[in-house]
Amino acid sequence: MFACTASDKATSGSFALGFLKLISATMVPLQEGMCPGLDGDLLRSLLAADIRTVEDLVSSDLEDVSRKCSVSYKALFSIRRVLLAQHTAFPVSGADLYEELLSSTAIISTGNPSLDKLLDSGLYTGEITELSGGPGSGKSQVCFGVAVHVSLQLKQSVIYVDTTGGLTASRLLEMLQSETSDGDEQMEALQRIHVFRLFDAYSLRDCLSALRRGGLLQASGGGSVKAVIVDSVSAVISPLLGGKQNEGMSLMIQAAVALKTMAKDFSVAVLVTNHVTRGGGGGVQPGLGASWSHIPRTRILLERVDRAPSGCSSTLRSATLIKSSRQPCHIKEEFDLQRQSRSVRSSSGKRKRDEADS
Amino acid sequence: MTVELETANNHGGGEAVTALELLQREKECGSITTFSSQLDRALKGGLPVGKVTEICGAPGVGKTQLCLQLSVDVQVPLSFGGLEGQVIFMDTEGSFVLQRVGDVAAAVVRHFSLVAEDGEQKDAMQTFDMESILSNIFLVRCHDYVELLAELHLLPDFLRDQPRVRLLVIDSVAFPFRQQLDDLSLRTRLLQGLAQQLVSIATRHNIAVVITNQMTTRLQDSQSHLVPALGEIWGHASTTRILLQWEGSRQVAAIVKSPCCMDTAVQYHITSEGFRDVNQPENSDQPEIPLTERRSL
Repeated sequence: MFACTASDKATSGSFALGFLKLISATMVPLQEGMCPGLDGDLLRSLLAADIRTVEDLVSSDLEDVSRKCSVSYKALFSIRRVLLAQHTAFPVSGADLYEELLSSTAIISTGNPSLDKLLDSGLYTGEITELSGGPGSGKSQVCFGVAVHVSLQLKQSVIYVDTTGGLTASRLLEMLQSETSDGDEQMEALQRIHVFRLFDAYSLRDCLSALRRGGLLQASGGGSVKAVIVDSVSAVISPLLGGKQNEGMSLMIQAAVALKTMAKDFSVAVLVTNHVTRGGGGGVQPGLGASWSHIPRTRILLERVDRAPSGCSSTLRSATLIKSSRQPCHIKEEFDLQRQSRSVRSSSGKRKRDEADS
Repeated sequence: MTVELETANNHGGGEAVTALELLQREKECGSITTFSSQLDRALKGGLPVGKVTEICGAPGVGKTQLCLQLSVDVQVPLSFGGLEGQVIFMDTEGSFVLQRVGDVAAAVVRHFSLVAEDGEQKDAMQTFDMESILSNIFLVRCHDYVELLAELHLLPDFLRDQPRVRLLVIDSVAFPFRQQLDDLSLRTRLLQGLAQQLVSIATRHNIAVVITNQMTTRLQDSQSHLVPALGEIWGHASTTRILLQWEGSRQVAAIVKSPCCMDTAVQYHITSEGFRDVNQPENSDQPEIPLTERRSL
């Protein structure tokens, strides 16, 4: 399971020459239609012989399996070859990888200048960026802002996976109306945002796997997708973590692997949201624990700014960078939720980098 | 015009809808008026159908009263711009008092019989009376959190047989979970699962879900603040959060979390007729249910 995180760390050090990517998906379960020849009947007989994942099939004795499942040896051999080709990686030289990254990576502006400053000019394709914050801190609003910006200004499709029910199309329309007054443009922009609404972890994993396996183009109706937003990952995963349950971790990592490979293979920027928990000492930290903390490349913490003495109706929010491979951590920016496309104030307090972001 | 129900077999992640289709669906869904025109204006029409709304407040501030008002308001006939829907009221505290519902219902019926203009509306008033209002409320009494969770598990089957339900009220969600659960991490997990179930029910069956929550004290920097109970993670459960509180001698409803409305605060008070605005005299209150949004029967 942790082979995938190691391989991501290896690819992020892309300037080293000549290294191997590890097998990126050893725990991928066998599914129907994964490769030609793997149909429902064969899958059932393999499951009966206790072969559940790609690794099991690849490492098993094919003669033995063909006898147990009464399938031809040739069929199994060809399936194994296809699976090996699909799931192992070939060595790539660092220089080629660097060239590929230079040509395929794009930086998607979030539409919010303060956030762009924190993110080193925007969301990078091929990476996962995480927004965490307490209730009402503005995570969904920022996600709406990104969706609207990508759809309207960059004219690219957006896939929005909503697990909280917070997506309100009238709010998207309101944001579009503040950017342009052309009704047709607004309708077109709304048509480029494709929404999946799912409410449990299994559906999330299935949806992301389907998107990764080529459903991205299908879902967007042919348009080119540049951003995938999942709001929020923690709402569906955290009920399954903790206690005596063992499914939660596995589902979390499967969803994470699907997001990462989708980001890399299709050159999209992935934005996810997370809740916060109170750590020791009263400070807030992003939820889902230490295993999840390695998944996003960049993490931002959103908080309300309580400046006015009257309290409740402030629309100011502050964003703090808590994990980044490009900027020093703990720089802070403020912005107004109402006018996201123009920042109100920028105050960057650069403090010394902390080890607390792992 | 009927709104299509999403089929419940969308387990492979389901189909994608574009935001444009969502916008059209939202317009068709409508919202439930609270009979307080200021609050309705702040909420851009009323409580949204298809979303989860949380009402928090200290004891006695009017949470149950607002729920009773909503249970009657959701049944307003289509010709008056209402939803003509049924209600499932899950009562965990025993605060559902029949006489009170009767009073609120009688006031609403009186109001609409005065306002009825054309033949369609007058016909609707024939069937909109106190007996029919009371018969459209399904009351469920839950004594502990296990019963509450079990009822919610059985709800999708019930909703398939009763497609006219447009409102689900849980009053209150906090009471059974605070009383009987000592293990806080188990409580958090159960609450998060509950939250996802509620969102799923609201979206799949096109129902407005209203939950009430209590308040608790939190000590921060040696000062105590009154915050909604059930922890911070529960704050993510609802899409919209309305905080009812006392400010001196006034009762104020503040919208503290909403995806489409700004944080505002409006004043209200509870009269013998129900949940009402403050500035209007009692004998002629006219909440602004937009009569232009009539639907053809």
